[in-house]
Amino acid sequence: MAEFTAEVFQNEFLSEGATDVHAVVSVTCKGAGTAGQSGHGEAAEIIIVDTSGSMDMPTAKIVAARRAAKVAIGEIVDGTWFAVISGHSVAQMVYPSHPGMAKMTDVTRREATHMVDNLIAGGATAIGAWIAAATELFGQVQTAQCHAILLTDGKIEGEPHTALPEALSAARGKFQCDCRGIGSDWVVDELRAIADALLGTVDIIAKPDQLEADFEAMIRTSMSRGVADARLRIWAPQGSEVLFVRQVAPSVEDLTAKAAQVGPLIREYPTGAWSDESRDYHIAVRVPVAPVGNERLAARVEVTINDEVVAKSLVKATWSADADLTTRIDPAVAHYTGQAQLADAIQKGLAAKAAGDDRTATVLLGEAAKIAHDSGNEDTTRLLAKVVDVVDADTGTVRLKGNVDRTDEMALDTRSTKTTRIRKEP
Amino acid sequence: MTDTELRCPACGAPIAGTDTFCEACGAHVGAGEAAPDPSADTAAKTTVVPDTSAGAVCEHCGGEILDDGFCGTCGQKAPSPRDRWSEQPAPWVGGVCDKGVVHPANEDAMALAADPDGGFAVLVVCDGVTSAPHSDRAAMAAARAACSLLSGVPVPVTHGVAATISYWTSALEKATSEANGAAVGVAHALGDPAEPPSCTFVAAIVADAVITVAWCGDSRAYWLPDAGDARQLTVDHSLGTALLAAGEPREQAEADPAFHTITRWLGADSVEHSAEFVSQTIDTPGWLLVCSDGLWNYASVLEEMVALVADKSATSNGDPVQLAAALVDWANAAGGHDNVTAALARCNPPVLLHGEGTSRG
Repeated sequence: MAEFTAEVFQNEFLSEGATDVHAVVSVTCKGAGTAGQSGHGEAAEIIIVDTSGSMDMPTAKIVAARRAAKVAIGEIVDGTWFAVISGHSVAQMVYPSHPGMAKMTDVTRREATHMVDNLIAGGATAIGAWIAAATELFGQVQTAQCHAILLTDGKIEGEPHTALPEALSAARGKFQCDCRGIGSDWVVDELRAIADALLGTVDIIAKPDQLEADFEAMIRTSMSRGVADARLRIWAPQGSEVLFVRQVAPSVEDLTAKAAQVGPLIREYPTGAWSDESRDYHIAVRVPVAPVGNERLAARVEVTINDEVVAKSLVKATWSADADLTTRIDPAVAHYTGQAQLADAIQKGLAAKAAGDDRTATVLLGEAAKIAHDSGNEDTTRLLAKVVDVVDADTGTVRLKGNVDRTDEMALDTRSTKTTRIRKEP
Repeated sequence: MTDTELRCPACGAPIAGTDTFCEACGAHVGAGEAAPDPSADTAAKTTVVPDTSAGAVCEHCGGEILDDGFCGTCGQKAPSPRDRWSEQPAPWVGGVCDKGVVHPANEDAMALAADPDGGFAVLVVCDGVTSAPHSDRAAMAAARAACSLLSGVPVPVTHGVAATISYWTSALEKATSEANGAAVGVAHALGDPAEPPSCTFVAAIVADAVITVAWCGDSRAYWLPDAGDARQLTVDHSLGTALLAAGEPREQAEADPAFHTITRWLGADSVEHSAEFVSQTIDTPGWLLVCSDGLWNYASVLEEMVALVADKSATSNGDPVQLAAALVDWANAAGGHDNVTAALARCNPPVLLHGEGTSRG
């Protein structure tokens, strides 16, 4: 049985008249077990492989896609519902052959592997249609925990602009989807929109030979998620305003707009499936002011599974006249505020660069270089160094590089939301 | 309320209904109906604390207090029993310990014991040092330990004031050491933090028409007779005393932030925790007042305190808790910048009086 804990990091002391309360809530899950085998219903997995014409240019892409799909099938545990979809101008069933899902067994695994070997490239990239097909297949098995991986190498062509947003609004809450773009001809924003709506990740596969290991890791992670669906339930006092709720580790994901009002003062935020892992959430609430000496709750933060509270922690607000207390910023809050700014500066900086506004790009990417350096975010520092020459990390002085590999820029963009964890005091 | 819902007013740890003291922090949790307090004749002992159980009505917005101790509507914290409580071990002895207005927690503590007949009482007040976390627990443990020891000491048949003073000074010396040990024990229980919890200490004994006081720090004891000369029995162990002794004018000294820096305290980091002692014979009716600086800050000169107590006692019907509450409320109305504790004993001279007068211990 999974065990959740929720721990609050904050400076609860507010100066006279102050209203904004910030806290980082660290949620940890232990004993999650295996997807589909932990009493939360069966698990279902769909692999969506782009087989548009461009996947054959070079042929290495479709070859890598076949191999990666086979490895993924091998990682899906017995008893899991599964299907493989070939995505081009339409969504086409690869396995099973009829529109439905199969239970994973030795036999179906062998059959599916064989069918994947026959994947051939041809046609357009209609991702909206692929998402719609996956939604329909998951709907047939009616199980709690549904996960898909989507691989593409290009931008959407061959379907109306409205197809993807419509497909996403129908898919929201039905399954989670991790997205991978191979090469450099796909659009980061398109895949990010899918990952954001469907509580998944997005990443770049710069070289075809990296695909296999990535698919293997993705399915393994998915199979280790024994908790199908946990939610963050947040109570905030009457007259308050929840300014934002964002996941800040392991990556920055803004959950504010995903709130569902479940009571007059209570909202729920989806967090998807959980394995044995820890995620941090930055919560900001604007509360009505109270006199100095008052102690109030700014939020009750609960983790719920099927409406049952499995962890709870309290975010407090205590008004004080002692400036020594009120001027301190909690280290976790400070760190993750910086990490969110880092992601924002990278994304906006790259957008400015793409629009030809080199001045803005230089300022923003310089700011990013400084934050990444100061917070010890080495991965992001390394990715940034492929796009800018860092003149002085301490002041955030950078120069845009002349010749940047497009995949390096896309890698920086997709991984801009990855955060480093703050070292917690013992 | 069942036993499982009971919580220690000092530290919040679960307690059983039969507990007199919290296992976790040593705070007094007995409420009259609990097991007999070994410390004294407790027939008249009552402790009054506010209702803070889940389901209580929020005093701020009228919402419901949830089981986490906060209002379900506005989030206001339900007042903790530790925030303000009163004790009255006998009709002539009582006190109020209050969090004040500005501080978020009550780090003052008080422990009282008394015979119903007016012959013997113990009044202990400790003021936790705010800059050291968990000093509320150290203060409670220290006050409780001293009171428990002193009220267990047999009251001897003594001959003369000198013998009485000598006997109780010796007992107070042991009690101070016991109180310091309790404060150090709280630090140990917390894993010996770098800044260990600490507190001031003042303990007064009324026995055989003599008041004997031990103190460490700047919590005070006063003898305030209805007529005749009042006396501040204690001299603050603080830089404030040093400033005044150096000739600094009072107003200027009190404005100095160092005025309240104490030079003696109880706790693991105490360099000097031996108490100073003083005695006072009771030869006329009056009040013994033991208090924290949350009260005397607003009446730091003896004459001000005399006038204040005279004013408030006029409407207190001779009841020590009523008078203590009036003093505490007055300090809160004046700003309540610190925790406020006032403990009082109504003292009357014996019919036959020894004539030895006042002497210092």
